[in-house]
Amino acid sequence: MGTNIGKIPIRLLFLFEILSLSLIFIYRWDNLDFNTFATGIGLVLLVYFSNSFLRKISSGDHYIFLIVSMMFSIGLIMIFRISSDLGIKQLLWLLIGIGVFFASYFLVKNIEFWDKMILVYLGTAYGLFAMTFILGARLRGAINWISIGGVSFQPAEVTKIALIFFLASYYYNIEKYSKNKYSEWIVMGIVYSYIGLLFLQRDLGTALIFFGIYTGLQYIYCNGRRYEIANLSLALLGGSLGYILFDHVKIRVLTWLNPWPYINDKGYQITQSLFAIAEGSYFGTGLGRGNPSFIPLSYNDFIFSSISEEMGVFTGIGVIMLFVLLVYRGFKIALLQNHKFYRIVAIGISLMFGLQAFIIIGGAIKVIPLTGLTLPFISYGGSSIVSSFLALGILQGASEKVVKEDETYE
Amino acid sequence: MFDILSVIFKYVFVIIIYVFIFTIIRMIYLDIKTIKTISGDLKAYLKVLNPLDTIPYKMEDTYVIEDNLTIGRGSDNLVVIRDPYVSKHHLKILLDEGNYFIEDLKSSNGTILNNSKLEDVSILKSGDIIKVGDIDLMFIHKG
Amino acid sequence: MNRESKRIITLFISLCAGFILLIGYLSYFQIFKAETIRENQYNKRLWIDEEEVLRGSIIDRDEEVLVYSQEKNGSIERVYKYDYLYSHIIGYSTREYGKSGLEKNFNSYLINANRNTAINEVINLINPVGVGNNLKLTIDTDLQRKSRELLRGKKGAIIAMDPKTGEILSMVSLPDYNVNSLIDNWAQISEDTNSPLINRGVQGLYTPGSTFKIVTALSSLELKDEESVFNCQGSIEIDGYIFKDFNSSGHGSIGLLEAFSKSCNTYFASLATHIGYDELKAMAESLYFNQRIPFDLDTSISRFPETQVGLTDLAASGIGQGRIGASPLNMLLITSAIANDGDMMKPYIVEKVISPQSNDVEIFTGEILTSIDDSIDLVRMQEMMREVVINGTGTNARIRNVQVAGKTGTAENASGKNHAWFVGYAPYDDPKVAVVVLLEEDGSSGGGAAAPIARDMMIYALNNIKFRR
Repeated sequence: MGTNIGKIPIRLLFLFEILSLSLIFIYRWDNLDFNTFATGIGLVLLVYFSNSFLRKISSGDHYIFLIVSMMFSIGLIMIFRISSDLGIKQLLWLLIGIGVFFASYFLVKNIEFWDKMILVYLGTAYGLFAMTFILGARLRGAINWISIGGVSFQPAEVTKIALIFFLASYYYNIEKYSKNKYSEWIVMGIVYSYIGLLFLQRDLGTALIFFGIYTGLQYIYCNGRRYEIANLSLALLGGSLGYILFDHVKIRVLTWLNPWPYINDKGYQITQSLFAIAEGSYFGTGLGRGNPSFIPLSYNDFIFSSISEEMGVFTGIGVIMLFVLLVYRGFKIALLQNHKFYRIVAIGISLMFGLQAFIIIGGAIKVIPLTGLTLPFISYGGSSIVSSFLALGILQGASEKVVKEDETYE
Repeated sequence: MFDILSVIFKYVFVIIIYVFIFTIIRMIYLDIKTIKTISGDLKAYLKVLNPLDTIPYKMEDTYVIEDNLTIGRGSDNLVVIRDPYVSKHHLKILLDEGNYFIEDLKSSNGTILNNSKLEDVSILKSGDIIKVGDIDLMFIHKG
Repeated sequence: MNRESKRIITLFISLCAGFILLIGYLSYFQIFKAETIRENQYNKRLWIDEEEVLRGSIIDRDEEVLVYSQEKNGSIERVYKYDYLYSHIIGYSTREYGKSGLEKNFNSYLINANRNTAINEVINLINPVGVGNNLKLTIDTDLQRKSRELLRGKKGAIIAMDPKTGEILSMVSLPDYNVNSLIDNWAQISEDTNSPLINRGVQGLYTPGSTFKIVTALSSLELKDEESVFNCQGSIEIDGYIFKDFNSSGHGSIGLLEAFSKSCNTYFASLATHIGYDELKAMAESLYFNQRIPFDLDTSISRFPETQVGLTDLAASGIGQGRIGASPLNMLLITSAIANDGDMMKPYIVEKVISPQSNDVEIFTGEILTSIDDSIDLVRMQEMMREVVINGTGTNARIRNVQVAGKTGTAENASGKNHAWFVGYAPYDDPKVAVVVLLEEDGSSGGGAAAPIARDMMIYALNNIKFRR
């Protein structure tokens, strides 16, 4: 047991990387450039060193990083196949991301006062929103990007994490807070204010995630059915109002139900995505033989469709299974964690990954309306990668965290 | 040439990815199995009969007994019961020549073994029920 | 296990359920919907497949090339030999406006795309296909030309078929369009209110008028319940509505044979009410009403009212008025079935698919689509149809030295101008060709306008076509 089977996944990962990278080398035979070599070698080294290093220094969960390594490898290879420029940029982001992963892991593991900063989280979230409104630029219909010194990032990605910490601090100290009988309503109000701001920014996907995380945590930790009922009713009301008042919501729903009449304009994205998936059949067309470039945002929101086209529906299902595994491990980490605060954080982060993956994959295959979200670890994008690794590092820390017990009962 | 490779590789990739996934699942499963059995030599353990969410303080549902084990309110015990009616060192279970014995450590409120009060030392048989304070523990001994 | 843990697990399971839903939908999508979605004409990938392959040619019954592709200045050009003649049969294949006709329905043969299985895919790689398959048609170009000539100046359709094999010998629909200048004239063609793009022979649904009396008669023969003596007084009132004959003085005392041959409305209106809705509908549906006819081109489904109708409507149905819509192809198939002693053959235009190396990839032969019930006396039906041409409304279809059988129809419709129909076959003893002629909104009678055209068609066919038996 133990060591032998443990080596198998990482070796398989290497095999996968080497085969697919060599394929892309041959694909680019006519214009091999520095990017190709750098990305290829870079990926293999990155995976090897980060996994070994983690194994050495962490006694916590070692599955989540392994699963994520497979994810970002598939993603990087697909992105690289689409464009070698984006490929090397993605590698850079992965490098930074993994650095952030280790940093956040250390911080969580070694700093004790995370559960005492509820106001900091509150402030950070509002601060980030304010920044977006003031400095933000509209990109593809949503004002959720900020450009600083040539680098653009999405503050909402960090706000998600602030939300999780905020809710964790609240529910950890719920006995203290529930002395004030309005506290639950206040929290609900705060969360809905975030969601409202996101609506105004037209970032419907993130709004959905915020709602999902809040509802999930509320379901587990809130004592009192009426809050949950209020939450769901508000959501229903808000959703319907949103549909009636906002055209862009209406368009999303219509093109979800039947995109074919709008195939050349509003329904263009989703239909191209469906064509790609249909083309891929079970095993795909083969790397380099499909046409993912026909899909808009093939490296970003629709990376899943590109993967399904060239690597098949089976690989698509494989990616979904990887996310199920990741979420499972996250929840398991939560169950094993004795300290309530870190438990909630672990649940929140797992929920975040799971919901995000579900929403964007669901949108790309037309199970739910399309929203502008990225697939964690797989899509191209600095903010997406860095924030996902940030969250992963926190999760990794939570898997090991042992808080010094004082003689207090739980 | 590239096309042929790509077509062959696509089947290979799917196989690799699925073997990867299933290996991880298997690894996790093995991990869980190990935790459940705790260590190789699972011979004897105590099972807490009270539903865990009726107990106002934290307890496990199972405690493995290796050679010996103490139960009491103090945190140096293997089984910690934070009940004021339980003495700091309440009782002890030990292994002697293949049999397990239970000994009350002069506790203030005593220990009940199978509905009768435990006086000093008694031998434990699999299925015996030990009452300490409000907690009921069943002793299970395999083989 | 405490409440918190339980809830955590519940939450996890709900999330899992969501993912399982995704996996399920992906599988469903791949198994059931992927093929259809892929074939959507807005899918640019299809064009790439096509660009790599030299599209196959189409040849006629005598192996004359009707359309072929050639490389010209780096791109592939499709050359149609005839501008108008085959526009509804072969159709067109364009990037801008999609495909129609055989170019559409036999697309995968023409570009030789069979990459469905893994083996095929690998084979295709090792031995790449550069050229598509060719199609050989059952159509006789001379007869096709003749058909178009006969229909000139009118709107409508002519189809000629071999009733014993199902081969379509000619099929013309007017108005038509010039396929070689399609792209330049698209706006004009697609917006023309006369709909030149529609193949009226297979896609048009028209009130069949008296040609539907064939169905009514068959139904009566099946029930063995006809009125041998009926007094036709030129009109009859059924449930408040008055049905009239053309000749309003009435046919006098007649039986089924004479009523059919003279196309007596009052007789058949009354007959329909005796037969009843269920039986009449059953007969119509056994003859492919309310069912899709499997064919090489897209067809419309002929309509017979699906739910019970009142007595007046029933009577109207008996004489082919009311809410019945028949395609010329359907009426032709019914006629051919009678000619072929009860076996309705499946119609087809593509005789075989030939590989670039001249091997037969696939051969299509006659198959029976459905058979009229044995218990029905078809000889009587044939005799009735012969009588139509000898003595009845269809005398204009007479051919010297050859016995012809048929039925005329003059259908009233919403436009106010009658459709003129004729269905028939010849020779009576050994039918070689069956024909349907439909003149849309012509204002004339079936016997007057459609029958002569059918006659000329049959003469030409019998004289010029080599029938394969």
